[in-house]
Amino acid sequence: EEDISALDIQISVYAHGNAQDVIPEDELPFTRIRLVRDDEEDELIAINTQPAWVVDVPDARHTATMLSWLKKSGIETPTMSHLKRIRKQDGSLTVLLALTPEYPQVPALPDVPGLSEPYVVHVPSTVALTQVSLKHKNTLWPTVYAPRRKGEAEEWTRGKALWACKAMKRVVEEAQDAGRRGELPITAHVPIPYEKETRDAAQLPAPFLAHDTRMSTSHPLRHAVLNTIRAVADYRASSSTSLLSTPTPPPIPPPTDSSASIPLPGAAGTSRFVAEVQAPQNGAHYLLTSLTLFTTHEPCIMCSMALLHSRVKEVFYLTPMSRTGGCGSVACVPALKNVNHRYNLGRWRYLKGEPGAMADERSITIADDIDA
Amino acid sequence: MSEEDVPPSADATDGHLHWMREAMDMAEEALAAAEVPVGCVFVRDGRIIARARNRTNELRNATRHAELEAIDEILADATLTPAVTQYPLSETTLYVTVEPCIMCASALRQMGIKEVFYGCGNDRFGGCGSVLGVNSKLSHPIHAPYKAHGGYLREDAILVLRRFYITENTNAPIPKAKGNRVLKTDILPRSSSGDRD
Repeated sequence: EEDISALDIQISVYAHGNAQDVIPEDELPFTRIRLVRDDEEDELIAINTQPAWVVDVPDARHTATMLSWLKKSGIETPTMSHLKRIRKQDGSLTVLLALTPEYPQVPALPDVPGLSEPYVVHVPSTVALTQVSLKHKNTLWPTVYAPRRKGEAEEWTRGKALWACKAMKRVVEEAQDAGRRGELPITAHVPIPYEKETRDAAQLPAPFLAHDTRMSTSHPLRHAVLNTIRAVADYRASSSTSLLSTPTPPPIPPPTDSSASIPLPGAAGTSRFVAEVQAPQNGAHYLLTSLTLFTTHEPCIMCSMALLHSRVKEVFYLTPMSRTGGCGSVACVPALKNVNHRYNLGRWRYLKGEPGAMADERSITIADDIDA
Repeated sequence: MSEEDVPPSADATDGHLHWMREAMDMAEEALAAAEVPVGCVFVRDGRIIARARNRTNELRNATRHAELEAIDEILADATLTPAVTQYPLSETTLYVTVEPCIMCASALRQMGIKEVFYGCGNDRFGGCGSVLGVNSKLSHPIHAPYKAHGGYLREDAILVLRRFYITENTNAPIPKAKGNRVLKTDILPRSSSGDRD
């Protein structure tokens, strides 16, 4: 006989009522794992930075032209949203172009007189959560101030909770199926985003889902998360062959980050200009930027870091892996100091008083010494 | 950074540098292909069984680091991996120009790598001690730890990365001349122990 699936019960709970209703934190189907304390970054030295391309605009009248060019250029990415575009300092004006890790090549500039060569400065990696931190971060680059409301950040609606429950249900079903076929019952899933803006930005026309294949391929690294990342990448690569310049996601920046800026200056007069701006491209659908990944088991260290390299927005997992997990158990990779991206983490939970709550998890149990 | 238990003999160091030069050739190949210049070779029984470099850009996949590319090559070759085994790299040594990142350090441990030699450390992502000690400090219920030694051709490894970051954008419609850029060549010595400079 079949146990009752707790996920089915959750789905039926969120399916009723107004999809726009905001769900209180303690009624969400997951527990958020907190990565950093807000006051942790109050010290200047604790601020995480990353390199970014900027350009000096000597004539303030050209600012609007630069900004509208930047919008069309496609080199902006959602990961820059915590930074202001313009810095005014000592009477000079500088415009932020792109994050170097996402756009390592020197950006081509529009035909605006007097621009400097693009050069690299180090900018804060995240929004300012406190006033103290804002003051510090602004000394590096003007940063957006976004204090967290009591408790936590993003609000979830009933409709989004239902979307998440269905995604997790899909993950579990696929894992059960993989288990029946002799694989480890581990699955990862990147659904089409819930919000329309994210759907448009992410340009993901279909959900991506992959299970663990290390048994059938005799390859110890064919984990569900890596397989899913590869599926998305293969799709991206096949659907964008005509790009003029390719975004390079450098996994390893030069180990020279200690200096405030990499000296790549140029005399302003030597700039050459590119007449036609490239069509909007790549930035918006860079790797897993703005996407959510659901998985049956807490990812291992390798997969946790692969998700960080891929700039995933958030990760939800059903079963913690207390001896091998890299998202809160043995280590918490997205919470490490120095790393240049953080993703949010949620551990799945069942609603209070639900019968048969463990049925789903029992069906996909693996040994606790396995790297999921 | 990891520490050496015993300083190696001059002969041993020469041997490691020999393999590291081969890894550096792969980093140069990556640079020529507009990829982040990190290269590696896997050595078993005194010969290179696989050589690889970053392909993250080409494959639109931020996880396609040199180490994972080489591992796939080794496992796909029945002469190199004749039987299914849990630790296919237990008799294999890795030479890589940059400290393996956290992802690769974990992958190498899951593959049972024998030992790792690398060029420069990696302050952002280093998985052999710089950010997280995945190779040995972190506990694992079954996978044995492995030793990782840094500082082999470290300056070359740093310089090739710097060259990457000031390369002309040859993909742009009108490549810009970057003749006025200065390649910074001074390199600060490593501050941590286990230094080989």
